[in-house]
Amino acid sequence: MAEHVGFSPWRSRPPRRVGGGVEAASDPSIGVLTEARLPRVTRVKNKSSSKLQITAEQIIREAREQREPEHPRGPARKIADADELAEYLLGERKKFEDAVRRAASCGSPSAWVRYAEWEERRGDLHRARSVYERALSSSAAAQRDHALWVRYAEFEMRSRCVSHARNVWDRAVALLPRVDQLWLKYAHMEETLGAVANARQVFDRWMAWRPGASGWCSYAKFELRYGEVDHARAVYERFVAEHPRPEALIRYAKFEAKRGEVERARWVYERAADVLTDDNEDAEALFMVFAEFEEGCGEMERAPTIYKYALDKMPKGRTDELYRKLLAFEKQFGECEGIEDAIVGKRRIQYEDEVRKNPLNYDSWFDLIRLEESVGEKERIREVYERAVTNVPPAEEKRYWRRYILPMD
Amino acid sequence: MGKELVATAAEANAKSLPECINSSNPFHECSDYCIRKIAEARQRLDDEVPDSSKRPPEERTLHPDCINASNPYHDCSEYCFKRIADAKAGSFCSIDFIVELPYHVLSLYVVTGSERAQKEDAGKSHVAEQQSEENEAGKQEDAAGVDDGYPQMTEKQRKLFELQLKMNEARKANQQAMVAEKKRMEPRGESRGVSKQKWLEDRKKKIGKLLDSNGLDMSKAYMLDTQETAEVKYKKWEKEPAPHGWDVFNQKTLYDAYKKRTKNIEVDMEAYNKAKESDPEFYRDASSLQYGKVSKVPEENIDKMVKELKDREAKRQSFSRRRKFNEDKDIDSINDRNEHFNKKIERAFGKYTLEIKNNLERGTALPD
Repeated sequence: MAEHVGFSPWRSRPPRRVGGGVEAASDPSIGVLTEARLPRVTRVKNKSSSKLQITAEQIIREAREQREPEHPRGPARKIADADELAEYLLGERKKFEDAVRRAASCGSPSAWVRYAEWEERRGDLHRARSVYERALSSSAAAQRDHALWVRYAEFEMRSRCVSHARNVWDRAVALLPRVDQLWLKYAHMEETLGAVANARQVFDRWMAWRPGASGWCSYAKFELRYGEVDHARAVYERFVAEHPRPEALIRYAKFEAKRGEVERARWVYERAADVLTDDNEDAEALFMVFAEFEEGCGEMERAPTIYKYALDKMPKGRTDELYRKLLAFEKQFGECEGIEDAIVGKRRIQYEDEVRKNPLNYDSWFDLIRLEESVGEKERIREVYERAVTNVPPAEEKRYWRRYILPMD
Repeated sequence: MGKELVATAAEANAKSLPECINSSNPFHECSDYCIRKIAEARQRLDDEVPDSSKRPPEERTLHPDCINASNPYHDCSEYCFKRIADAKAGSFCSIDFIVELPYHVLSLYVVTGSERAQKEDAGKSHVAEQQSEENEAGKQEDAAGVDDGYPQMTEKQRKLFELQLKMNEARKANQQAMVAEKKRMEPRGESRGVSKQKWLEDRKKKIGKLLDSNGLDMSKAYMLDTQETAEVKYKKWEKEPAPHGWDVFNQKTLYDAYKKRTKNIEVDMEAYNKAKESDPEFYRDASSLQYGKVSKVPEENIDKMVKELKDREAKRQSFSRRRKFNEDKDIDSINDRNEHFNKKIERAFGKYTLEIKNNLERGTALPD
């Protein structure tokens, strides 16, 4: 076995003990004939570390220093005439085609895009176009790749070929109607080119696919950019018909409010309140926004009525926010009674709950009675007393009756 | 009454020693007790800090009316003097920039002058009148007040003083900038497995003194925040984390990017109106047969479109920031591709292999 004094970094064996052969030779127990020629494993007698040591770090450093430059540049060429140019281009295209073939197995179209961008930089639009088309037809997955479509269309736009660009966008949008980005970029292009009617048609085609809120809102904003308020309103109507959810209605109402159309806004909010179902989470948000809007309009009587209506309609679990807002509102604008009413109302509901759960828990009944007495409305007090009294204790035992009779225990 | 206020403050201040801890209270009069306390404090300071460099400097620019006068390390600066002057002048006309406010809002402001108190019953129109009146009164006092901010100094001395203040501030700012730069430039230390401890220590060092002076614990460190910093913190908590990784270009972010681009659209209303008149089918809907018809697009619009595209592309270049190359980091790759791969792997598995790596470096595993 030849002993390596240096070290080859690509071998994965542990560092060999370089001095081993010499010492084995001087070891009398192993005969001279067995010195280093036999392929069998030498029994290591000397286990002390050898004089030449190396660490993994040093190996790595040496490897790093000795490496060859990545991507070595070929010698600089001077292109003298058309033939040489054709040769050079052929060479480059070959490289690109190889890259494309290698990348065919994995999904990313980046090799295609690089090839097409090189052709574009050379100014050869036909070739670039053909590269993009080949990319799109290379696999079914490529057709569904919206990024590739965007690149293709932007290439056409950069090269100032408007009809080609429109064509590409059209195909993209027909193939991938659910990708918002394509529609947005298409409409944006038409708008930048000043072809507003085309942009409108694009938006309208998009709406036929019933996109989400962002699509509708972008359409409405587009109309508003050109001051077409009626059309924007029509768009919002369609939006709200499409998405009968509180968020949509809130947006519509906010649009109206921003225009200063208070009546319409109110009407929208009322529609929202009708459309809603009770256990909708956004119902709370809707009512709060509605009440804030009324506050903003200066309708100080409607706002608390809205709060109270909401509190009645909503399930008890989600009313915290509403209560807080109602209290804040009453503190700001309401009178003493209103504030008390609001605070008492919350307590009342709490006690009513308790009482419903445990009609025989007379302590909770007494709490409720005391609360009503503090408010001072005679009818209510009477009513509560009547209800309390009907809850007769179940058995004829003294301890049940004791509480029933004696409130002060 | 406002003038009396200042007079009493001034004469009260005459008795208030600048080293007294109550010196920021304008009505405080130092007594024997105060003098004793001051002596004690000085004694304590001598005991605690034998190193004279850390002591509060004996000579410092101190205005006795400054609210930070009790802080022995405080140096009065431009800002302090301005504030003192404002405070003095303000007792005459604190709201001279408001002309018309709804009545009930005005009444919420703190009112010092008795004339104001009397006129509070007046209506809105009177208030406006009164403001202009007080403006004039305020301005006169203002002129007097400025000089009062620097007692016992002539013009020249005042100017010299201000220059000295500026030099101090500049020196301080330079120092801070130097320290920050040094920290940035020097090689960042080993961040593997060390960070949390060091960060905790740093933090403790920075706010330790403040905590102690207020008698707080590390766990109650949030009590030191002012309202503004606390609000900033809450805002940060409420903010949704920005999408990273493969989710960066989701529908929402793309839509937001589109919205930003629409802000740059130049709306040409004349061309729009002209087109509206000339085209019978201006409000097309999806089924319009005008679709696909070649329309002539003026060159400038195409230019606009191309320019916008180029701008977008330039912006795209700055999407990923180039990170600083850390030369002093250990080399664990033999290649550029290897290095890149190692970076990716570190990103994914770094926090899990930290322990193992540290053990290997040390040579032995810790008995945890």
